[in-house]
Amino acid sequence: MSEILTTLLQDARVWQGHRHTSTNQPAELTGYSRLDTLLGGHGWPRGALTECLLDTPGIGELYLLLPLVRRLAETGRTVFWLNPPYIPYAPALARAGVNLEEIIVLHARDRGDFVWSLENCLRSPVTGLVMAWPDTLAPRDIRRLQLAAEAGNNLCVLFRERRYSEQSSPAALRLVLEPDGPQGLGVTVLKRRGSWSGQRCSLTLAQRAGLSTGTVSSVVRGPWPAPAR
Amino acid sequence: MLWLYLHFPHLILDHLRRHHERRQALVVVEGSGQNILQVCPEARTLGVRPGMRLKTATSLAPDLTLVRADPAREARVLEDQALWLYRHVAHIVLCPPAGILMEIGSMLRLYDGLAGVWSTLQRALEERQLTATLATGYTPLAARLLARAHKGECTATREQLTNTLARLSLSAAGFDARTCTRLQRLGLNTLGQVAALPPAELAHRLSPQILAHVQKIQGTRADPQTPWQPPRRFRQQTEFVQDIEQASRLLFPLRRMLTELEAYLCWRQQDTDCLLLKLHHRHREPSRLRIRTSGPEHRAETFLGLIRLRLEQQPLPAPVTQMKLSVKRFLGRATPGGPDLLGDGQDLSEAWHTLVSRLQARLGNRALIRLSPKADHRPEHAWSATEVQRAHRADPALKHHHYPDRPLWLLPEPRPLTETPQAWLAGPERISSGWWEGQRVQRDYYVAQLPDGQLAWVFRGVNSHWFVHGWFG
Repeated sequence: MSEILTTLLQDARVWQGHRHTSTNQPAELTGYSRLDTLLGGHGWPRGALTECLLDTPGIGELYLLLPLVRRLAETGRTVFWLNPPYIPYAPALARAGVNLEEIIVLHARDRGDFVWSLENCLRSPVTGLVMAWPDTLAPRDIRRLQLAAEAGNNLCVLFRERRYSEQSSPAALRLVLEPDGPQGLGVTVLKRRGSWSGQRCSLTLAQRAGLSTGTVSSVVRGPWPAPAR
Repeated sequence: MLWLYLHFPHLILDHLRRHHERRQALVVVEGSGQNILQVCPEARTLGVRPGMRLKTATSLAPDLTLVRADPAREARVLEDQALWLYRHVAHIVLCPPAGILMEIGSMLRLYDGLAGVWSTLQRALEERQLTATLATGYTPLAARLLARAHKGECTATREQLTNTLARLSLSAAGFDARTCTRLQRLGLNTLGQVAALPPAELAHRLSPQILAHVQKIQGTRADPQTPWQPPRRFRQQTEFVQDIEQASRLLFPLRRMLTELEAYLCWRQQDTDCLLLKLHHRHREPSRLRIRTSGPEHRAETFLGLIRLRLEQQPLPAPVTQMKLSVKRFLGRATPGGPDLLGDGQDLSEAWHTLVSRLQARLGNRALIRLSPKADHRPEHAWSATEVQRAHRADPALKHHHYPDRPLWLLPEPRPLTETPQAWLAGPERISSGWWEGQRVQRDYYVAQLPDGQLAWVFRGVNSHWFVHGWFG
């Protein structure tokens, strides 16, 4: 009996409120030391769903995952992009050093196909990461995906709108992403295994547009609002 | 030379029956639909015999299923048999309508004697649920006559074969009805008696053709045979006695066809990545399904899984009367190489092909794409999408290429900028290109931060309108 309890504690499915347990759940480092600290020193949980909740794309959400994508693609694991809202731009990915051989973009027509594809990708041993942009998902579907991710021991990141933060979700990790400061990204933990929610950190992601952090204040004068040069 | 002849008394019926789960009485009727030509064992137990009038037969067995004789189909089915026989025997001659001749004298050492060949063939016939009579002979014609007369034995002794041949009746010896009568009037009743006549007299008094026939049986006259060559492509066809309305019922015959394909590919040490399945309907254009795997494949189970997925995706437009499977493209089977001694890498590449093929079968080939950068200054042309085929290696030159700063998200179409940006962060970068293609682009690109925190890649076109072309996601 005590063995089961130990396992539960080790898996961080049950945890004690007075301490932020260091658990041994499998994970992948995020590539950002601040974010790793926020996620208990582990990073993205493996074999579980991660939800990133954000209002609009273009705030650095891809750049957040880029170190992981690069690392997985380098080790020959396939990274699937399921129903991305825009075109993942190949020259930018190549510039970031991502091995494009391992990137596969998928388009599913309806929710059935979407969940089916996602589930199949997650159960496969070749998959490293699945990034998915669902329209709507029933809690039942998310539960199914969570089980598939556990079965395949794969990483899955769902990008959803921020209004879903009100709903509960079986995902193991839920993060709210919002712009923070000049070109920065604020990450708030909404739910995570083994710890309280509510921690927050801010990442500077200005280099995603080729801007160095120092020159952010020295803005190049644009011609806006006077259109004529 | 020792020959072996396979005679199929009701090949078409065997062929039709093996694709059906349920056994029913079947007969082949001749083109005009009056006489019965072939009878299956079930119909025979009901009392139906070949040569019977159709009316008599239907009154004996009211549930009789009729199949119209079709020489083209018979030829095709016969060739199918040659295809699998080719695995066992090298020299095959087709003898339409219902026989296959094989030269086995040269195969005896391989099979360790005639008994080995004989049992191998019988086992193969049983596996395929085919009825056939076998016979050996020292000339093609002798083997053929013995097989057709059901007098075949597993023997290579010359005397025994000659004796059996000599006892054949005239009609069984292949003489036509008129010649038979003529010979019988002379008091000759068996082939042995005819063969015993002096050849010169036989040609002079009867006809040179009879002499030629007898000499071909004896082997004193040349009887050249054209060997059959296996075709370069794989084809299998199934006709249904009753139309198939549910896609799931196609799977049973499909499994058998795919197993044949698997065996065929194994024998030829080939793989394929493209199957063509053609479903014929009674009053419609046939529907074609192209099943593609993402990599070389030969296993029937994989193909069946993909076809099942496809059939689930698109329902049958009409009942199916016929189904054809063909494979034209063959790929040499790659030997599993690479540095992984324990074969882990191989497993993963197989898993990769399985996953991608499954996804392609369900979502369509176009739904899976792989991205690659392209050398073009215009942002919308600087990337390309290709269908995912097998794991291919990209041009290594592109890897060390220097790329300019670009956003991770590109909008499919530039979209008008509606808000005033909060801050201008970088720019301008002028892109002026494409005039030679009539798609001239002249834009000044900036990086700007919009009020809700997005980093946008905006540009101003020639007519001073502002557009968003990408997000720095």
